[in-house]
Amino acid sequence: MINFFKRVVQFKLKWFAKIYLWRTKPKVIVIAGTIGRHWIKEAVKEVLEDKNFLVRTNKKNFNAEIGLPLSILDLSSGKKSFWQWLKILWLAFKKVAVFSKIKLSPNYLVLEMAINAPENMNYLTSIVKPDVVILTTITMIYAENFENLDEISREYGELAKVLSWNGILILNNDDLRIKELGKYFDGKVITFGFSDGSQYKAVSVSKIADGQKFKIEVKQKEKEILNVKINRFGQHHIYAELVRAIIKDNFSAEG
Amino acid sequence: MFSRTQNIKLSPIKQIELLASKIPDVVSLAQGVPSFDTPEVIKKSAIKALSRGVVAKYSLTYGLPELRETIEQKLAEDGMYYDFEKEIIATAGSIEAITATLIAIIEPKKNEIILFSPSYTSYAEAVKVAGGKPIFVNLIEGGLALSQSKGWRIDFKSLERKINSKTAAILFCNPNNPTGTIFPKEDLLKIAELAENKKFFILSDEVYKDFIYDFAFPSDGTAGRAFFSLAQIPELRKRVIRIFSLSKAYAMTGWRIGFMHSDEENIKEILKVHDSLVTCAPVISQYAAIAALDFGDKEIEKFRRQYQERRDLICRHLDDLKDFFSYQKPNSSYFIFPKLLPKRDSWQFALDLLEKAHVAVVPGIAFGPSGESHIRMSFGRSEKDINEAMRRIKKFFKYD
Repeated sequence: MINFFKRVVQFKLKWFAKIYLWRTKPKVIVIAGTIGRHWIKEAVKEVLEDKNFLVRTNKKNFNAEIGLPLSILDLSSGKKSFWQWLKILWLAFKKVAVFSKIKLSPNYLVLEMAINAPENMNYLTSIVKPDVVILTTITMIYAENFENLDEISREYGELAKVLSWNGILILNNDDLRIKELGKYFDGKVITFGFSDGSQYKAVSVSKIADGQKFKIEVKQKEKEILNVKINRFGQHHIYAELVRAIIKDNFSAEG
Repeated sequence: MFSRTQNIKLSPIKQIELLASKIPDVVSLAQGVPSFDTPEVIKKSAIKALSRGVVAKYSLTYGLPELRETIEQKLAEDGMYYDFEKEIIATAGSIEAITATLIAIIEPKKNEIILFSPSYTSYAEAVKVAGGKPIFVNLIEGGLALSQSKGWRIDFKSLERKINSKTAAILFCNPNNPTGTIFPKEDLLKIAELAENKKFFILSDEVYKDFIYDFAFPSDGTAGRAFFSLAQIPELRKRVIRIFSLSKAYAMTGWRIGFMHSDEENIKEILKVHDSLVTCAPVISQYAAIAALDFGDKEIEKFRRQYQERRDLICRHLDDLKDFFSYQKPNSSYFIFPKLLPKRDSWQFALDLLEKAHVAVVPGIAFGPSGESHIRMSFGRSEKDINEAMRRIKKFFKYD
């Protein structure tokens, strides 16, 4: 009974989310990969807000079959309450109904997507088609439902396949499986990382007392070099800064 | 045979609990176990992980990447920036984190660990397990601490006298168990200055940081829920090893799950000990911890409010017994550390109370020399237990 109700909720939320997207037409940026999504999402959000766009992101864990449509609709979870879920479905209906006026919808939806089983990505991309896809890295985190890392990689490949022709695919050049996914997309591909060949490459990285210092070499612009200092530690924060630079360069400001 | 362990005692808290378990109808205010069960959202997440079949295998020695990412995000909310890949370890509770750290940092010529007295009873034993020597520095009762009432404050003259070339670290609990004191920022900064000058580590165990009751901070004039940790200062990251356990905050004592963080340089050495001690923290508990950190904030606030009410309740009972106890009102944790009036042997008192009133409390001497003539009572227990225990104690004094 619970499973049946869950399926009904999932189905209805999917369609409400699709109608909402059709009515509001935001640009959708999807961030996927087994780790390192959060800080990239934050960096993307910050840089778009700096450009005066209205941005909505998904909360942590609102990134799969039910959480993703809730994020799109800007609704919270009904948790374990039957009545709460009914209320949420009603609110979702009100949001997308023809008679309702949609208030202040975001210019950009920046969404983390998570998968834990094969075919998950097909389902998520049946709800939302991204305009930009950022792929971080692939590790064995969700290995329990996958044969191997290559199978996980194929799952992320679905995102590249559904990208619109004028979209952008942003890939971590240090992860060989992620790098390979470029073959699924004929449009604009931008790579980032520490390794040679990255279009946005981090060099001269040094750890300092209160963070990290590094330079970003941008190949697109005949080797423009940006100096960066951040108060965070760890390689994943450098990746977030590389993506920040990519978004900054590839999206013009609103208004 | 057993030359190392001969000087190590079973924690007096456990000794008292063991004695108490043999007495029917005993009410225990001894062990620091929350009266609450683990919140549903956490249990369900663990059940889900169990059903998915993901908990039977070891995790990475550092812990599940998802958990460490969550910890990094949580720490960042509190102004502490650590790399989940290299600077955070999920541990089997805080005591494993402390023991692994002590084993890693204690050397033959640098083997002294400074502990406050009173402070958590297992610290001294963990130091001995690691082959070190505990050195006690008294807290002064009635000194101004970070609360509106008088509390317990560090005796810096004594601290400075006891620091020498053999000092490997200072280990303290902030907020302090058993006194419930929050050490003021200026005192922590003084410790940091000493540690920088004399080159020793600071082990900051912050297990009770979520249970703070009075939010007036007279020391710096600010109000709010801000809790200061030395781990917030980036320049100290090589000096400070911060430890946290989910046991108290999320009512998860049996799950044995906590974490530690410090600069990569320290963590990579501690990791070797952690690996040899436990391989990894219990994986099912790591999944539970992700849910706790993601969804547990409301539960913590609920617990905090309850503990505050219980603190006020136990204080009212102690006020009725002012001929027998004096106390500093704790500003955090769920312990109160009343002084026995007149001065008396705390072990004997705890045993008498257990035998005659069937109430278990921990003798103050268990927390270091200056804990003598005090007892520790936990208000982590239910109101019913607190009322019953205090009723029996009142009766005990009437017939003592």
